[in-house]
Amino acid sequence: MKFWQKIYLFSILTFVVVFNIASVMVIERNHNKMLQQEINNVLSENMSIYTSVGEVIPIMKVYDSIDYDQTVLTNIAKRFVNKNWDQNAYLQITEGNRSVFSNVNFMMPQNRKELHPLNAHEIRYILRDIGNRTLLFTSNLASINGKDYVFTYVKDVTALYDERMDQYLFFVKADIGAVMLYALVMFLISKGLTKPIDRMIRTAKVIAEGRFSERVELKTRDEIGMLGANFNEMAEVVEDKINQLERNNHEKERFIQNITHELKTPLTSIIGYANFLRTTKVEEKQLLDGLDVIYSEAKRLESLSVKLMDLILFRQGHAELKTVQMLEVIREAESSLQMKAADRRLRLDVRCVEGNVRMDPDLVKVLISNLVDNAMKASSEAGIITIQSFRGRGSYTLEVLDHGIGIPEEHLPSLFEPFYMVDKARTKSQHGAGLGLSICQSIAEMHGARMEVESTPGEGTTIRTVFPFQDDTGGERE
Amino acid sequence: MINRLSKRILIVEDDIHISNIIKMNLNLVNYETTQIYDGLAALEAIQNSMIQVSGSAAGPFDLIILDVMIPGMDGFQLMERIRPLGIPVIFLTAKTTVFDKVNGLKLGAEDYMVKPFEAIELLARIETVMRRYGKEEQAIHYKGVDVYLDKREVTVYGEKAELTPKEFDLLVVLLKNKNIALSREQILEKVWGFDFYGETRTIDTHVKELRKKLRLQDSIRTVYKIGYRLED
Repeated sequence: MKFWQKIYLFSILTFVVVFNIASVMVIERNHNKMLQQEINNVLSENMSIYTSVGEVIPIMKVYDSIDYDQTVLTNIAKRFVNKNWDQNAYLQITEGNRSVFSNVNFMMPQNRKELHPLNAHEIRYILRDIGNRTLLFTSNLASINGKDYVFTYVKDVTALYDERMDQYLFFVKADIGAVMLYALVMFLISKGLTKPIDRMIRTAKVIAEGRFSERVELKTRDEIGMLGANFNEMAEVVEDKINQLERNNHEKERFIQNITHELKTPLTSIIGYANFLRTTKVEEKQLLDGLDVIYSEAKRLESLSVKLMDLILFRQGHAELKTVQMLEVIREAESSLQMKAADRRLRLDVRCVEGNVRMDPDLVKVLISNLVDNAMKASSEAGIITIQSFRGRGSYTLEVLDHGIGIPEEHLPSLFEPFYMVDKARTKSQHGAGLGLSICQSIAEMHGARMEVESTPGEGTTIRTVFPFQDDTGGERE
Repeated sequence: MINRLSKRILIVEDDIHISNIIKMNLNLVNYETTQIYDGLAALEAIQNSMIQVSGSAAGPFDLIILDVMIPGMDGFQLMERIRPLGIPVIFLTAKTTVFDKVNGLKLGAEDYMVKPFEAIELLARIETVMRRYGKEEQAIHYKGVDVYLDKREVTVYGEKAELTPKEFDLLVVLLKNKNIALSREQILEKVWGFDFYGETRTIDTHVKELRKKLRLQDSIRTVYKIGYRLED
């Protein structure tokens, strides 16, 4: 059963039970009170007959004649009956089995248990249903001249019972009306109360179907409103997490796709050329060209595999950082870089300051050589490449500058993505795979350093690595 | 000579080496090739070739080999643009996901080849697509041998030669992969089908028969470590 139906049904049940019990109690109490009042009236009327009879007893004692007794009693009865006739009252006076007076217009019941035993000066009453009437019998006994006269005064109280029935009839109508009205009001209330819950259920279903951006809209400030707010908060967290997972997944997928692509391209050339050379009749020049392609593409694969290993290692690895003099590390890296620069007829200037930085020196050397490598690839003959560094407040900044081709602005945001190449043809002609900056980024992250790029097409590029740096250990250690 | 000079194939591939190797293979079997290295230039070239139909000798391309990851405009986008022109396209790409394959074919490509590929497989697929487009030649002429593909008849200097069905199929495979050495396994697969578990010696006998019946002793060469090659 639904929650609103439970509220609805139970409240209606409670209402019906309470309302009916209360009403029945009121009606019954009313009825009993009126009945009691009537009984009291009848009793007092009976008493008044008795009193009237009492007054004439001394006279009767004087005459002591049955006839006279009968005449007197009949007279008293007639007087009384005339006075009360309109009130549906009946009087019967008996002595033993002999009837002295009776204006009863119905069959007197044979068994009148109220008379056995009836003592003198005692009044008893009983209610009897005779025909379709309800009658109140009151009886008392007067002893006159050794004879016991029973006075039975009967009053019709059917009206009281009719009245009660009337009230019940009215109550049933009122009851039906009240229950219907209550049911309608409760329906609206229970529906209204549970509406926000319904809404939340619907939202939860929608979210479960995978639309994580769905939110529930609740304006109430009660517990349900709070539940809704918490629900939304939860949905928010879930959505964020899902999005993050999706992003990660997407990134990984792209990474793998890129690896596949980067592996397959040189492989296609190698297999294609090798197969061409072995299955066709080729001339000397074709043979040499083909072998050249195979060689250079294989070299590209080799460098790709090395870089890829680096990247994968650096991505998952924790470096063992120790405090090292940065200037020394730069000097160590410089020697081999100078040779490379000379090969390409480039000039490499180093203008660096001292600074103790927490680092893995081997990784920092990889970082520097990758950055310089990129700078060389971007530079034309006789270009100048500069490695420079300076200490700032809490940081040690290392810059690699070139005056080469530069990077168009639209490429800057994606620059650190693995396999991202600004100029594919140019990168490939220099056996690049687009991994250098990704590797640098990974290394920087391991050192808690951040990387920045500044570049103007045609003028050159500056790549800055900002290491965290503690001044207190001091720059001069030797 | 096999007369295929009329068949023009456009190679859209940004890696110059791969583009070259495709070109070299296609040229071997006498397809005419045009190489283009990016999407936008390819679109322009294709549209120009359509305009020139009436005038110059070039005419529209008969087939396009299209790489997906190319600069300017990627292969899928290009495919959408050129689809109305009705030129058959074979995608050639390193992407291997099912989604990419389905996407490529949905866009109306005739076939989909994954790098790295075998040259003879590419040729076979080009052949299939050409046949589907009714661009296949009905007859191949080679050194006095005339092969009528529809009638499955062969004449040597005008005289009818009696070939068994398998010998005929073998001859066609050799002719269509002219100048390319085919291994015995490749020949077996192409002539007898995948599920044939025969010995490669069967091929040697058939080749011997062909050489004798068609007087091609010098043209069908045995290639060391590989198999056979029909040479010009």
